[in-house]
Amino acid sequence: MNRIATMNRYRAAKITSKFILHLVLMVIGLVMIFPLIWMIISSFKTSLEIIDVEFHLFPRVWTLRNYENVFEELQMVRGYINSIIVSSAVTACVLFSATAAGYLFSKLRFWGRDALFFIVLASVMIPAQIVLIPLYILMNRFGWINSYQGLIFPFAMNAFGIFLMRQFMYGIPTDLVEAARIDGASDFKIYFSVILPLVRSSIAVLGILIFLWTWDELLWPLVIVNRNEMKTLPLILGHFTQAEQTFPGESLAASTLVIGPVLIVYGFFQRHFVRGMSMTGLKG
Amino acid sequence: MTVLRSKKKKPINTFILVVALTVLVYYTLVGVWPFLFNIFLSFRKTDLITVNKFIGLKNYNFMIHDPIFWKSLWHNFYYLGVMVSLGIITSLVFAALIYRTTGAMRKVYTAMFFAPVVTSMVAVSLVWTLLYFPKVGLFAQVISGLFGIDRNRLTFLDNTTTALICIMIMDVWRDTGIRTVIFLAGMDEIPESLFESSRIDGASQIKQFFRITMPLLTPQLIFIAAIYSINAIRVYIQIYMMTGSPPGGPANSTMVLTLHMYLSAFYGNRFGYGSTLSMVMFVILFGLVLLEIKAFQQRWEY
Repeated sequence: MNRIATMNRYRAAKITSKFILHLVLMVIGLVMIFPLIWMIISSFKTSLEIIDVEFHLFPRVWTLRNYENVFEELQMVRGYINSIIVSSAVTACVLFSATAAGYLFSKLRFWGRDALFFIVLASVMIPAQIVLIPLYILMNRFGWINSYQGLIFPFAMNAFGIFLMRQFMYGIPTDLVEAARIDGASDFKIYFSVILPLVRSSIAVLGILIFLWTWDELLWPLVIVNRNEMKTLPLILGHFTQAEQTFPGESLAASTLVIGPVLIVYGFFQRHFVRGMSMTGLKG
Repeated sequence: MTVLRSKKKKPINTFILVVALTVLVYYTLVGVWPFLFNIFLSFRKTDLITVNKFIGLKNYNFMIHDPIFWKSLWHNFYYLGVMVSLGIITSLVFAALIYRTTGAMRKVYTAMFFAPVVTSMVAVSLVWTLLYFPKVGLFAQVISGLFGIDRNRLTFLDNTTTALICIMIMDVWRDTGIRTVIFLAGMDEIPESLFESSRIDGASQIKQFFRITMPLLTPQLIFIAAIYSINAIRVYIQIYMMTGSPPGGPANSTMVLTLHMYLSAFYGNRFGYGSTLSMVMFVILFGLVLLEIKAFQQRWEY
């Protein structure tokens, strides 16, 4: 009898502590996503309502004015097109070059391999940000100011990506490559039909990372683009610095338009995002 | 056999040739040459159009007498300190909490914590600038409601003493999810038997956390500290977006090296001086990477 009471008390204490744990986590979790929820809901408010002295989450009057203004006044559609072109092109180039170079450095032997790899490794320490001025001079020489080439080129290969792929490809048994070579396959053939299918999941991980990095790149476009029709989304959002207090509705609508698509994709491929980013530990 | 092979000319492998040459040309153009040219530029005075002359160490001399440079440098290291300490503490606590849940709810919490990580820094900076709206914004209302501080004193980003802290809090928020997930993965690898045996010895949960969990998370701790110190030296997006024009304000209270370099070169037309500032950033990054390599080379086994 007494034992049952003790057990019940023990169980009750356990349930209470579980309940408190979940309550605390739920509250913190809601705080974490609150700024995003607030952004989306408030983008349908009038500017006056957003900075109302009395806080209310849901708008008293729902309005699409902010979105209309953003599309009319800013070249939002153009910004989307530019950002998608640049981010996709960079991602494609990086994936292609990183896998090819990864194969080169992990499975093939040639004169000067280690020296070349050293150059790649050293470049990890020289991000575009540090050599901003020389890169700008170089692009100027090429006549690539205000062009897609200019926006893409400095990011077309990624030293970190090459390093990552090389590490993954060390895991592929060399026998597999040798067997294909004995069958008469060229290295191009081996690369496309043996190596690439084996590193599919790492390609997805690297692809997500690179796309998000490029989607968010601000400094380089700031330097190399000065014509409106070449502006990427971060540059268009940049119009709001200092003006967000004058146009709160518009800046929230524009932010929602930039974050929204990524959040939707995140909703579908959540596991890939979490696994990929935490595996490499890198982002923006 | 050997004789035969030596007579036959070894065929050139086109794959190696094409890929190795592309990599070599690309990294010469985007890595090696810009780096060397940057050193060259740091000894010159140039606006890229009319002026272009060698001035020796004058840029470096100017730099050590440039108060904005020292301010930026301090801000970068301040940022580093706060991001690494506050960032690690918060996400360790959250990871320890999530660790005790299982199943579907655990996935829900992970998804919630991780959502800000995938968002665009440019956009969330705008959103937070509005949350920090002086006097009438949401944060001003909440803080004055909770602590009874006069609303009119809550100017956040417009205040030279609080601006940088406000930006760092936003940054801690945004990346909490990824650090939490990294710690959580580390905690999951700790064998349950370790906790059980210490429980028999009568160790409390808090004691377990400091005696078992923390030491076994050393690799994750080093990894996160390394990544976030490098990020702190390179920080600029959130500061550019959350402060006025020119960025780094008010009164340079949020100026960092990257922005000082960008503004000196592209606003002030002092490209030589900008390159000098880049060299300083490079030296700091180089030092951090060496430290990082050294930390990783030690074996963390227990």
